[in-house]
Amino acid sequence: MLNRTINIISSYPNQLKTCVMGNEAIVRAAVEAGVNGVFSYPGTPSTEISEIFDHIYNFQHKAEYQMQYPEITTNKIYFEYSINEKIAMEKAIAYSIGNKSAMCVMKNVGMNVASDPLMSVTYQTIGGPLVVIVCDDPGCHSSSNEQDSRYWGPMANVPVFNPSTPSEAYKMVKQAFELSELIKLPVIVRTTTRVSHTRSTVHYGEINEKNRNANFERLPEHINIPARTATAHTRLLNKLNSDVINKLFRKNIVEHFNCKTAKIAIVTSGVATSYAQEIISDLKLENDVCLFEIGLIFPFPEKEIVEILKDKFTKLLILEELDPFIENQLRNIIQKNNLKINVKGKGFSTILPTGEFSLEIISKAIIEFAEIKSHENENLPIENYNDFLNQLPPRPPALCSGCPHRATFYLLKLAIPREQSELIMCGDIGCFGLGALPPLKMMDTINHMGMSISMAQGLYESFHDSDKDKKVVALLGDGTFFHSGLTSLVNAVYTRANILVIIFDNRTIGMTGQQDNPGSSHIPKYKEIDIPPVLKGLGIEVVEVINPYNIRESYEKVEKAINHKGVSVIVSKAPCIYLPEFKVGVNTKRVIKVDPEKCNTCANHDDVSITCSRCYTPKNNLSRAKSKIMAKNHIQGEAQLCPANICNHGFFNSILEGSYKEAVEIVRDKMLFARTCGDVCHRPCELFSEKNNFIPIKLLKKSVSAIDDNFYDFTEPIKRAKNAQSKNKCVAIIGAGPAGLSAAYDLVQQGYKISIFEKDNKVGGMITSAIPSFRMDKKGFEYEAMQLEKMGVEFIFNTKIGVDISFENIAENFDSTIISTGLPIAKKLDLVEDFIPERNRLSNLDFLKNFNEGTCQLKPNSSILVIGGGNSAIDAARAAKKLDPQNKVVITCIETEKNMPAFAEEINHAILEGIEIINCSYVNNIEKLSNDRLKISLFNFDNKDKFNQDFICDYVITAIGQIGDSTVDFGTSIKVDENGKIINNNTKTKIKNVFVAGDICQGNNMSLIGAIASGKKAAVEVRKLLENYTFDYEGNLALKRLNNTNIPEFRTNNEIVGIDKTQLENYDLFQSCQKCNHCIDNFGCPAMVKVNGKVQIDLTRCTLCGLCIDVCPNNAISWVTEIENESSKQILI
Amino acid sequence: MQKNKKLLIAGVGGQGIVYLTNIIAEAALISEIDVSISEIHGLSQRGGIVTAGIGFGKNCTGFIKNAGVDFLIGLEPLETQRCLQYLHKKSCVVFGNYRIMPYSVNAQMAEYPDVLKFSEYLKKNCKKVYFIEKFPETIEAVNYNIYLLGIATLQPDFPLKAEKIEIAIKNLIEGKRKEKTLDIFRMSIDNFVEKSKSI
Repeated sequence: MLNRTINIISSYPNQLKTCVMGNEAIVRAAVEAGVNGVFSYPGTPSTEISEIFDHIYNFQHKAEYQMQYPEITTNKIYFEYSINEKIAMEKAIAYSIGNKSAMCVMKNVGMNVASDPLMSVTYQTIGGPLVVIVCDDPGCHSSSNEQDSRYWGPMANVPVFNPSTPSEAYKMVKQAFELSELIKLPVIVRTTTRVSHTRSTVHYGEINEKNRNANFERLPEHINIPARTATAHTRLLNKLNSDVINKLFRKNIVEHFNCKTAKIAIVTSGVATSYAQEIISDLKLENDVCLFEIGLIFPFPEKEIVEILKDKFTKLLILEELDPFIENQLRNIIQKNNLKINVKGKGFSTILPTGEFSLEIISKAIIEFAEIKSHENENLPIENYNDFLNQLPPRPPALCSGCPHRATFYLLKLAIPREQSELIMCGDIGCFGLGALPPLKMMDTINHMGMSISMAQGLYESFHDSDKDKKVVALLGDGTFFHSGLTSLVNAVYTRANILVIIFDNRTIGMTGQQDNPGSSHIPKYKEIDIPPVLKGLGIEVVEVINPYNIRESYEKVEKAINHKGVSVIVSKAPCIYLPEFKVGVNTKRVIKVDPEKCNTCANHDDVSITCSRCYTPKNNLSRAKSKIMAKNHIQGEAQLCPANICNHGFFNSILEGSYKEAVEIVRDKMLFARTCGDVCHRPCELFSEKNNFIPIKLLKKSVSAIDDNFYDFTEPIKRAKNAQSKNKCVAIIGAGPAGLSAAYDLVQQGYKISIFEKDNKVGGMITSAIPSFRMDKKGFEYEAMQLEKMGVEFIFNTKIGVDISFENIAENFDSTIISTGLPIAKKLDLVEDFIPERNRLSNLDFLKNFNEGTCQLKPNSSILVIGGGNSAIDAARAAKKLDPQNKVVITCIETEKNMPAFAEEINHAILEGIEIINCSYVNNIEKLSNDRLKISLFNFDNKDKFNQDFICDYVITAIGQIGDSTVDFGTSIKVDENGKIINNNTKTKIKNVFVAGDICQGNNMSLIGAIASGKKAAVEVRKLLENYTFDYEGNLALKRLNNTNIPEFRTNNEIVGIDKTQLENYDLFQSCQKCNHCIDNFGCPAMVKVNGKVQIDLTRCTLCGLCIDVCPNNAISWVTEIENESSKQILI
Repeated sequence: MQKNKKLLIAGVGGQGIVYLTNIIAEAALISEIDVSISEIHGLSQRGGIVTAGIGFGKNCTGFIKNAGVDFLIGLEPLETQRCLQYLHKKSCVVFGNYRIMPYSVNAQMAEYPDVLKFSEYLKKNCKKVYFIEKFPETIEAVNYNIYLLGIATLQPDFPLKAEKIEIAIKNLIEGKRKEKTLDIFRMSIDNFVEKSKSI
């Protein structure tokens, strides 16, 4: 850069041949013309002009270079990035009035902002020369329109040069300075992208060292008042007709190729000339077509053109990009002078007033115009290339990795969920406009520079006083804020608009390559203006400055600003990654890594073929990511595992997103009983978590399955069973309790033919008979269970093993058999059996069965003693109370209150219903009284005071546990223990194809969820035997934990009642999930690359901002202090 | 006089395409060849596509048309493929396998094309194709541009001679990077000069 700067301000008496970009040639020409001051606002394609002058300024002001290069640092060229184009133009005009040579630089749309001063100064006068460089952008490579700036010539009555190459630009800028000085008018040099950004040969010459002294002349022209306008207008038009201009006309009509014989001609202006030259040369038409290029296009060289065309040409083709500017003037002249020439222009061949030209367009037009029949093209396109061009992935630009704008947008994504919110987001011009594109998509409008705040206040006013009255959000960058946002903000405050303005303050004008703006000056030349005091000075009440990388802290400030009524402003302040200050504080000794084990991996399954109804959407993952940032309680998925292997993580997050049906489906991926488990599950998933910090899965299950539309829709599981590929294997299941039904559910979905043998006439086993109807929805259970029939399971009811069919018969005829007959016999207490007549004593099972069937016949107003401390004892006691509220019901159990195996909430219900519980007691003596009553003597061994207590009652119900039915004959190979439970090894029995599940399976926890899990586990064992399935049961960890736990440890009083979403939002249940991709879908840092389904950080692109660590909902991304392997820096796929 | 030639360089912002064109422009000046370069860098700093067309010879612009490119230097395979329509049967293509995933691929909205298949297709249909499946490990990604330029200069009809490019590098680059750049340029030529003779 240093060499180039020295190059460009050195004088070359013997010429220097160089190859430079059009913009650099313009700078050089201005330097040679002796420019004193340059005023600009950056904008592509003009930016490089300003940048080079900025370099020159910095070079000439550095003491070191002043010593070293006195000859090129003495005549200093002033340069400034003005805050907008209007100010640049005004200041350039004034600078010229001060007798200095001035230049003003901008892009096409900048001229609109600058037009106000230009339109009037022409009626007045300038002092030194003033050249305005305007760069148009046909094809809109980087602009919001493709306006044709040549019109400013006739509009403002200023001369316009239109160069076609860098070397022409160089010549014309020099002419422009001369012309401006002579006629005291600003002169425009208009380029297009393809001129500004083309490099070709330019010859640098000598620098005009003319010294200009600052001077202000008190001229009447400096005062513009209406009385002088008419004469001023005439004087202006006379300037355009001056001899100086007429002399320049000749010079600026260039005839290329010099052909003498042609009858047809092409007239061009701007870059179209270069296209035409190449095509004429390619087609070897040099002697058949004349090519005239017009350089000074306003005022138009009428006389000269007529001279050239008259009596020589019959046909003209006019080639110019965008509007028919020359064409219209030419047609006018031809008509006025009565020339017989056929003119072809816009609309001829493929010549359009829109977009850029290309060699194809010009080639086609010239071939048609010259009426060439055939032409040989030696270059043949390669075959079938379209096959390889189709469906290539697009590569839209994206915010840089580490960009603070992405951080702000991500924060806004969390704070302002776009799907649920009607908030309108009004964007603006700048890098951060990329936030309108995926994956951020955080803008609804982008207009021209500075429009965002006006858009927001205007929209607010549209909705104001309607029922949709709401806050509107404006987003703009710091450069744009000073460019034209500030005036609009004053208007918003003044008119009491209700808007939130977010200033993306990346401390630079990023889009055009990091130029200074008033909010962030990096050199002493400019004074920095701190934005927040400006805002506060305007009387804005809520002004929050946030660090967008600190999402947690910033979130609340954003919420506060959104909720404020009136104008609120957030200044999101963090430097652009290209500024040196970005790197301050970045620890370069560490890097960021993604743990592939946690990224896009299912934590619940090794066997990923297992059904997962969790719906993958970027939005769903966004809500997980939000809990990571916002929730107060972070619970790792492993803490809330389900023995039935239900994905509680997916289940909970579906509820957080409001997808209740999905939540039910996630339960049904693994088992039938969503509603039943919601009623009576032991909820081991909740009770193993630390400090009672858990998500109330059971309650949520109850709530979501209580929605009938969701509950009764079993389409998906039925579809899965029907669509399963048949394994051609038959499995018998003995006993239609929860264990057997669960095994059947899993196996039928794998394509097995299932037959369930049941001794009763209905499904359910213990669930149906022993749990009282007030604790669970019996019909719901039956509905859930009987879906199996629809899934293709065969039920054989009223069939008892050993009576109706032999076990051997089943085991031999089926490929595999699962025994799940349960423990249907109540344990007996000898004291009760021996001393109480049969009519006064009941087992809990008999009593509850009668209760459920409505066949209980207890005396009214009776006293009942229940023996036992488990759930079944409480069930029996509560059932007894429900039979007749006048009944006196007492429970005796040997456990302390704390150690009772029953659920705390059940005990609480019992106490509330008036049931007395006598803990630490047992029946000591029983005495039969004459009036068919019993006197029970209870010994209370509570440590504090031991005593005997007598209790007169009518009935005693024993609830001290169950055992297997010893009358069922499983043959000699199946061994049972003293409680009738079958001895097994991981559900396997001594017979290879016979498995055991549920309560009868020795070692299994007696609970609904224990039964379901063991049924599922047996199903896995069956699959391993019959189809070479290799995975172990995936709920095993939670099942083992359940089995190895003493029931009393489950006890807790901690329960959340009812689903309160705001309360749930305090929770984050996180685990890695295969359906994630959140960082790519919602964040989209270019340093994140996906390789084989896993995200990796491309360390060659990573800027170590570290935000992705907070973004990952799975905690898969973290700092690594040492670069383990240098070669791992680069990801090669 | 040598026939006009067109060279196209394609890649992604940050791969040093403008840097490469500076060297080429300087080398052309030294060789006294008319040169015109047209760059399009739409938001190049932000990972967008960058292409630079270079025309060598009189009345030869840097603008590119279908089947109009004699040499294509592809710094990124997908962007090389995107330039397919500009190639003709006698084109020479030099491209590397350093892939930069566009967002659409990362977000699973699109698939990255099969580079090997594309390379095979090119080899069948173009006069000369160099596909650098793996760059030497000693070269950093930012210098792949120089490496590929070195290979291109081995073509007898490439408008710039290697020694002129060396002078251009010496003129333009200062300090330690000068030697390093020259080393890579020479290494590339050394690695391929034998191969290109034997083919």
